[in-house]
Amino acid sequence: MRRRPGIGGLQTAAAARDQYRLLGENVAKLRTDLMKEQLATFRSQLEEFARKHKNDIRKNPTFRAQFHEMCAKVGVDPLASNKGFWAELLGIGDFYYELGVQIVEICLATRPHNGGLTNLQELCTLLRQKRKSGCEAVSEDDCLRAIRKLKILGSSFEVISVGKRKLVRSVPTELNRDHNEILELAQAQRYVTVDEVERRLSWTSGGATDALDTLLDEGLAMIDDGHEDGKRRYWFPCVSSISFSGGARGFLIHKNFTCTQNIRCGR
Amino acid sequence: MQKLGDFKLPQFFNYPPYFTYSPALSAVVAHALAHYFNVLHSEMNWVEDIPPQLNLLVSRPVRDTREKQVQLWKDFILDYCKTQHIFVIELEEEFPLFSNPVIERSLSHEARKAFLSALVTEGRAEWLDKGHRKCLILWHRIQDWADIILRFVKDNGLEDGVMTIEEIRSGIESRGTELHGIDRTILMRALKLLEHKGKLAIFKGTSTDDEGVKFSV
Repeated sequence: MRRRPGIGGLQTAAAARDQYRLLGENVAKLRTDLMKEQLATFRSQLEEFARKHKNDIRKNPTFRAQFHEMCAKVGVDPLASNKGFWAELLGIGDFYYELGVQIVEICLATRPHNGGLTNLQELCTLLRQKRKSGCEAVSEDDCLRAIRKLKILGSSFEVISVGKRKLVRSVPTELNRDHNEILELAQAQRYVTVDEVERRLSWTSGGATDALDTLLDEGLAMIDDGHEDGKRRYWFPCVSSISFSGGARGFLIHKNFTCTQNIRCGR
Repeated sequence: MQKLGDFKLPQFFNYPPYFTYSPALSAVVAHALAHYFNVLHSEMNWVEDIPPQLNLLVSRPVRDTREKQVQLWKDFILDYCKTQHIFVIELEEEFPLFSNPVIERSLSHEARKAFLSALVTEGRAEWLDKGHRKCLILWHRIQDWADIILRFVKDNGLEDGVMTIEEIRSGIESRGTELHGIDRTILMRALKLLEHKGKLAIFKGTSTDDEGVKFSV
């Protein structure tokens, strides 16, 4: 066919381009529509799943954690709001809210002992004691989620990593790198001496003492002058995982240290 | 769980720092003062207490740690004395609570004195001597002991009766009650309190053994 010169030819080319563009848009739209549909299907399946396994989600921490992960994949946050669809379906919003309250209570009660830095493991143990049997079991994952919610509320709660451990910080105190290093060093024996800090972290004597003094004044360290070698030891309660088996006596002097979920537990 | 006889020991008892009387001054301040007075930094622990007006020398956490430690030891001492029926603590004698051989720590004399003094301030203990070496522990306050005596009187139908001091302390009727083996000083104080209220009259016999009480409850 002879190429049509002139205006006619240009019009044909323009029309052809339009056609291609429309086709392209349609294909993209098709793909988006398809994906939206798939996502919608997945979401409704997720909802169905949640409905069916509501009890398991409530009772089983591992299951609960996996459920959270699934939700995250589809961009659903069941804890985003205490009202709304997910909250009503699962009723776990209350669970995390109350967990958050209990975590705050424990951190406040232990602050005179550990200066506002609590070992995550220890926190969970204390939580389980506080809640006793009959309340839903809690995992570290649950604690982390509850703390994340607390953080959104604008509190100074945060989880930090020091060496191998996770610590929950409930005070605005920021730990600088020096302090972090000391805490990490302390994890081995639960305490450090000035000598050790100087030697292992290659600091000057003045530097070590200054850093330890600061940690003392923040309430993160406690002094021990009782060893027979006469050397002062700085103990860090936040890196100890002290088990609290056997009752409420111990570090916690608040007498009313009982389960706050009285209604839920039926106590 | 570590025990002392039948007594369950609290967790803090196994944590060495609790056996060192925690500092009153903020460490940074202590350091500066030590430098100024040309003493060792660690010797600044001689500062026993900071008056409220000088609170700027103490950080909040330092004050909290000190308060917490004192409270824990106070409760511990009272609890232990109550369950073991101990009425007097002598600072220079061995007292099971003051050392923990498992962690190889003991409370210094200064620390013992500080914790007992705190009990005295709270009205739960009294020094028996000027040198503060002997301390009477009031795990029941005198008023509470007075109430216990009144209950004892009623339970045994002694409203108009007579009894010797020794009988109150170690007689058959007192067995199984908290009065059995009660410290004499405490008993006399409680009885005097009741005498003041007109509930009884104390009379002396020919010897201390004959000292007795006529009840009029």
